[in-house]
Amino acid sequence: YSFSVEGDAIKVYVRVRPPSEGMALSDGDQGLCLSVLSSKTIRLHSKPEPKTFTFDYVANMETTQESVFSSVAKNIVESCMNGYNGTIFAYGQTGSGKTFTMMGPSDSDNFTHSLRGVIPRSFEYLFFLIEREKEKAGNGKSFLCKCSFIEIYNEQIFDLLDSASPGLFLREHIKKGVFVDGAVEQVLSSAAEAYQVLTMGWRNRRVASTSMNRESSRSHAVFTITVESMEKNNEVVNIRSSLLNLVDLAGSERQKDTHTEGLRLKEAGNINRSLSCLGQVITALVDVGNGKQRHVCYRDSKLTFLLRDSLGGNAKTCIIANVHPGSKCFGETLSTLNFAQRAKLIKNKAVVNEDTQGNVS
Amino acid sequence: MAAAGGSGWVVVCEKFRTARTLSTVESRKDPETEPYRSKYSARALLQEVKQLLSAAEDGEEARLLAVRRAVLEYELGVNHTDTEELSAGEEHLQRCTQLLEPHRLSPDCVSLYIQAQNNLGILWSLRDEIKTAQTYLESAEALYNQYMKEDGNPPLDPSEHFMSEEEKITDQERSKRFEKAYTHTLYYLAQVYQHLEMIEKAAQYCHTTLKRQLEYCGYHPVEWALNAATLSQYYLSKQCFMEARHCLAAASVIFSQAGQVPSAEDNETEQDQQDLRQRKAEIARCWIKYCLNLLQSARKLLEDNIGELDPDRQLELKAQRKKEEDEKEKGRKKAVLFGTSDICDSVLAMEEKVSSVYPLDFQEAREIFLVGQNYVLEAKEFFQVDGYVTDHIEIVQDHSALFKVLAFFEEDYERRCKMHKRRLDMLESIYVDLNPQYYLLISRQLQFELADTYYEMMDLKIAIGNRLEELDSHTIKKINSLAQLAIKYYELFLDSLRNPDRVFPEQLEEDVLRPAMVAKFHIARLYGKLITSDSKKQLENMQTSLEYYTFLVDYCEKYPDAVRAVETELELSKEMVGLLPTRMERLRAKLCPFI
Repeated sequence: YSFSVEGDAIKVYVRVRPPSEGMALSDGDQGLCLSVLSSKTIRLHSKPEPKTFTFDYVANMETTQESVFSSVAKNIVESCMNGYNGTIFAYGQTGSGKTFTMMGPSDSDNFTHSLRGVIPRSFEYLFFLIEREKEKAGNGKSFLCKCSFIEIYNEQIFDLLDSASPGLFLREHIKKGVFVDGAVEQVLSSAAEAYQVLTMGWRNRRVASTSMNRESSRSHAVFTITVESMEKNNEVVNIRSSLLNLVDLAGSERQKDTHTEGLRLKEAGNINRSLSCLGQVITALVDVGNGKQRHVCYRDSKLTFLLRDSLGGNAKTCIIANVHPGSKCFGETLSTLNFAQRAKLIKNKAVVNEDTQGNVS
Repeated sequence: MAAAGGSGWVVVCEKFRTARTLSTVESRKDPETEPYRSKYSARALLQEVKQLLSAAEDGEEARLLAVRRAVLEYELGVNHTDTEELSAGEEHLQRCTQLLEPHRLSPDCVSLYIQAQNNLGILWSLRDEIKTAQTYLESAEALYNQYMKEDGNPPLDPSEHFMSEEEKITDQERSKRFEKAYTHTLYYLAQVYQHLEMIEKAAQYCHTTLKRQLEYCGYHPVEWALNAATLSQYYLSKQCFMEARHCLAAASVIFSQAGQVPSAEDNETEQDQQDLRQRKAEIARCWIKYCLNLLQSARKLLEDNIGELDPDRQLELKAQRKKEEDEKEKGRKKAVLFGTSDICDSVLAMEEKVSSVYPLDFQEAREIFLVGQNYVLEAKEFFQVDGYVTDHIEIVQDHSALFKVLAFFEEDYERRCKMHKRRLDMLESIYVDLNPQYYLLISRQLQFELADTYYEMMDLKIAIGNRLEELDSHTIKKINSLAQLAIKYYELFLDSLRNPDRVFPEQLEEDVLRPAMVAKFHIARLYGKLITSDSKKQLENMQTSLEYYTFLVDYCEKYPDAVRAVETELELSKEMVGLLPTRMERLRAKLCPFI
């Protein structure tokens, strides 16, 4: 007999951006492919039947940055102060408002902009909480915040805080969990400083994308803050540490060839020597297996490996799925909503073996 | 005839060739902003070629022309499919098959026809009409089989229709390309069957695809080996040990080729070396699972209702095996064998190192155990704890599981205890360092496994003690300490379920319900087993035991859905909740006889 232990399900939020300029709202709902029914449901005008999706939270076009932050990220930043790891993903098609949601208006490096996004607001809130804690505890408690910023492109890891560094590797440490070996860590003392590091890395990402011919829409960017607190209670020193990961996923339209489209034969016509996708088929067959002990040779992607802790166990995780309401984007919007729906089911499964035979007497 | 010879024909062939190069080579370099630039140029050229082919009158000429047209329609069909114009693509491909229909079994058409069918399969899969795709692919499969039965000579490659006589390719090359086209048919079918959830069939087609890759040298050794090793894991889940072993042996043999082939550039990077070592370790891990599953399945066959080896069953199975061995030659190897004779010999030699039949006694089990243990060592060489925590621990857990199942076959209790001790040593040393903040799930697995192992050892010590005239103090101490340690780890597991404020959940999550309840139940039993001569202490233990049993009973009353998960445990708990108070009463009366 065996049982599985699963972590919290991922919370999924959907945000609908306003249609692009030039596409006037005056022509009624005609240009739109969806409507927000309530703060939890969204209806997609698909044919022949409209499809209704339910999520943990749906933000319509009018929802402010502040309210997105408080319903999505606030709780995660708080748990981070309590020693939980937290992760916020942004997912969606290019142009669906991911960067606006996470960073804010693209033309401003200004961290105090009224339209600033989830990331700068999380910084502010995190440092606000830290200051409050420090005040409460007096001299007894100190904090150390560090951050790193990496990019995963084509299954390779680049350090955005050190543009000269070569590709880096993921490793695991028995005490520290998964980490990027050799990634630069910068110490942070304020929210403004964190924002500075973030924008610097963001700029490096652009530079790298032009000089190395890689596109930002095909890469995942992961900004990680480590919060360490040290508390002295008489002679006992209590150290706590947690991670906050802010992840900008690659544009969803680029993932088409990996998993969003289930029913597509992997073409091999152009592949000369090998049928490299056969492995995927076989892996799928093995996945169907029935709780039997087995090992699948193909590794997770770098991203899922890095975020392994975020997908269950001791972590609070949420996904913000951004969608564009225009009917032109129908296909992408549908696949984003489908993805988001599936993400709700993601749980990190682990099997514990238990054997009670012969023990009940 | 204009198109058939002379300079006009040379131009046609040239254009055709350019179109092919544009389509297959150049198109990969197209900029992101114009993804189909080369494909569009290729298309224009193909249209030109189509124009240039003039109509022929009749007879042989007409047939030749029809076939050439079919080639163009095929190329155009693929081109349109590639550029996401599915309807146009379908039209061209359909026209191609129509033109070829009357000649599809002749050597100059069969390969093209199969490839057109393959592409129709791809096209329909792009439309999510997997059933339609299936019909095209299955008909391609049938055509191949019919052709091989009726003719079998190496057929013309489609590209040859636009080549001069002297450029035509050798029979060997023809056959290679034809077989490859058919391999693709099977490979697409494998995917189709997987999508249709015809799992067994999908596996069979994966197997055949692998086999054909090997036969026609169309493989990359490392990738092939990983695929074969992964496929073995499918067979494991179906308890097909002979097939699983064959896949693994082939994987190991082919993988060893990868190491021997000098790489294109001699300065193989550190990373490539590292990757190669990792792959090797991955294959070793598949072997570990093989040994483990074989042992565990044998255990299932052999155990009685309290999980001990059933000697009657053992005799019965031995007799049965003897009978099967006698008629073995006939039915054996219904698995598809991998490889040509050379490789096949190596694979068979590899297979001989480990059995694929259920072990029925300790000696046989031990042999499989040792093979598994060797692979554990091999896998650990790469997956060291520093850098690969999760993988490393998984391997250690497998190692522990190997010992556990081997212990089942061991009749001597003392030796059995020693095996469990080995498990404890390896699990505990990894557990103490593990940070549950990052490895909560593994940490829970280890806690539970450790608790269970101590529990099992305690039971063994009691069984050993029961054979003695009287329990000596040493044995009593041992039993108590084992019980205490089992309790400790069950409690650690239960503690891991508490929220950050250290509160135990009111209602347990579905997924931890059973383990939590079993932990409570086992703790209750353990308090009942603690041996003490101090009656007061004994009373206390009984009281604790009662509390834990009561938890189970109360919980199931409050949440009746939980009953399903712990039926046996609940029944026994209820019984104990009924019995214990009376026993405690009696004990109390003995303690203070005058009250």
